[in-house]
Amino acid sequence: MDWLSASPVTWYDALFVFLWGVVLMLVVLGFVTYAIYFERKVIGWMQFRRGPNRVGPFGLLQTVADILKLLIKEDTIPRKADRLLFVLAPVLAFIPSFAVLAVIPYTQKLYFADLNVGLLYYVALSGISTLAIVLGGWASNNKYALLGGMRSAAQMISYEVPLVISVTGVVLMSGTLNLRGIVDAQSGGWFWDWNFLPQIIGFAVFVIAAISELNRTPFDLPEAESELVAGYHVEYSGFRFAFFMLTEYVYVYAIAGLATTLFLGGWHAPAPFLDFIPGIIWFALKFAFIVFFLFWLRATLPRIRIDQLMGLGWKLLLPLSLANIFLTALFYELFQR
Amino acid sequence: MSGLTFNFDGGYAAFFAFAVLIIAGAVLMISTSKVVHMVMSMAAVFLGVGGMYILLDAEFLAFVQVLIYAGAISILMIFGIMMTNHRDAAAEAVKPLKETLAAVGALALFGLLFYAIRDADFADMGGGTLVPEEDNTAAIGMMLFHNQVLPFEIVSVLLTVAFIGAIVLAKKEAE
Repeated sequence: MDWLSASPVTWYDALFVFLWGVVLMLVVLGFVTYAIYFERKVIGWMQFRRGPNRVGPFGLLQTVADILKLLIKEDTIPRKADRLLFVLAPVLAFIPSFAVLAVIPYTQKLYFADLNVGLLYYVALSGISTLAIVLGGWASNNKYALLGGMRSAAQMISYEVPLVISVTGVVLMSGTLNLRGIVDAQSGGWFWDWNFLPQIIGFAVFVIAAISELNRTPFDLPEAESELVAGYHVEYSGFRFAFFMLTEYVYVYAIAGLATTLFLGGWHAPAPFLDFIPGIIWFALKFAFIVFFLFWLRATLPRIRIDQLMGLGWKLLLPLSLANIFLTALFYELFQR
Repeated sequence: MSGLTFNFDGGYAAFFAFAVLIIAGAVLMISTSKVVHMVMSMAAVFLGVGGMYILLDAEFLAFVQVLIYAGAISILMIFGIMMTNHRDAAAEAVKPLKETLAAVGALALFGLLFYAIRDADFADMGGGTLVPEEDNTAAIGMMLFHNQVLPFEIVSVLLTVAFIGAIVLAKKEAE
């Protein structure tokens, strides 16, 4: 770690790092606030409703009001809960979700950490949130919370496997785990140089597994209100509950950023003559499309059953993603020596 | 960083943070009474060890450590604990003889490991050496799939056998 030991840490450096962290945090909080608003508006629009339109112009302050309500709510901790873990779980869920954002590159110049194992870093840290969810469910000392936590963990572990294997094809194609390197490898000028076409199987598996990792419809079983009350966070209220919700939406941000960088060419324009538009705009457009896609699915699809979920993960997505690696490797071995 | 001059740079700060995490986790692991708390302390140790690997320029190893140990193994243990449904064990009466023997055993194990690690010659592994470079993921891959491909394949066969064995055992129990 030359960069770490090269010079003594000055207060200036520490302040610099801290301030950039704060900037990213504010951006993410802004995203989460308006993603929730956007989600409710989009779903309302798809269901011929108006969505939130009372608080502020066009209902723009609705989410702010909701968050304020959560923050001033009474914080309850069940008497028989495991107090320490109950308090720790939301924090432990949130920290990795925010930490993974560090490796996502926005443009050629704008990125937070240029890690040469960036993809692995993302995968490794996001696994810790699963641990936090199980802990939250267990610490609540409530059977519904425990069942919800177990389901959630089973689902997230089952889908983490195809998720990781599906991106291996991308890693094979670009020869690096560095997310900036992966985007650079897609710089052909045209949109068919992006990874989503050559890696179409990997992309499909990635999208399905990612939705499941996010616990969103049609895979929102951990929250199945009709059977599980509310899942692993039944006993949580106030700002601790807000932390779990925040974690979910920060992961939406992270997955949208990851899908953009891995499969949709990051900051590259879809055609050479569109290069004059700055990369950050392209990144934002692709990012917004993925976020919209998630909301669109939520308004369209019903929730699937737990056995269907497990069957899909292990019997379809896993073999498909393995076949994808095999095909990619075979192609490179035969044609690209 | 020569001699005794103490140069407080980022590396040192990170080293102390991770060292505190590891030691605190290890002590808590022994001193807490609830099994789930023990698993959590152990997860903290795993994370700290991952951090140490980063300080040693082994990023690939570090994040694999976090992925496998702090993530997968901890969750596996928590699942195991929840499935077995036991109560918190009451503190057993401590037997002095047993405790002394355990202490001797632990010290002997430490001595053995310490000696073996000090004595090991990592430069000569029988199949080429790993040259740490900018991208050590690629270097590890090259080494695993060129020089060490046979041990690698044997390990994967072993794991598959264990996996199938576990399924067979679970099936038998279910019937």
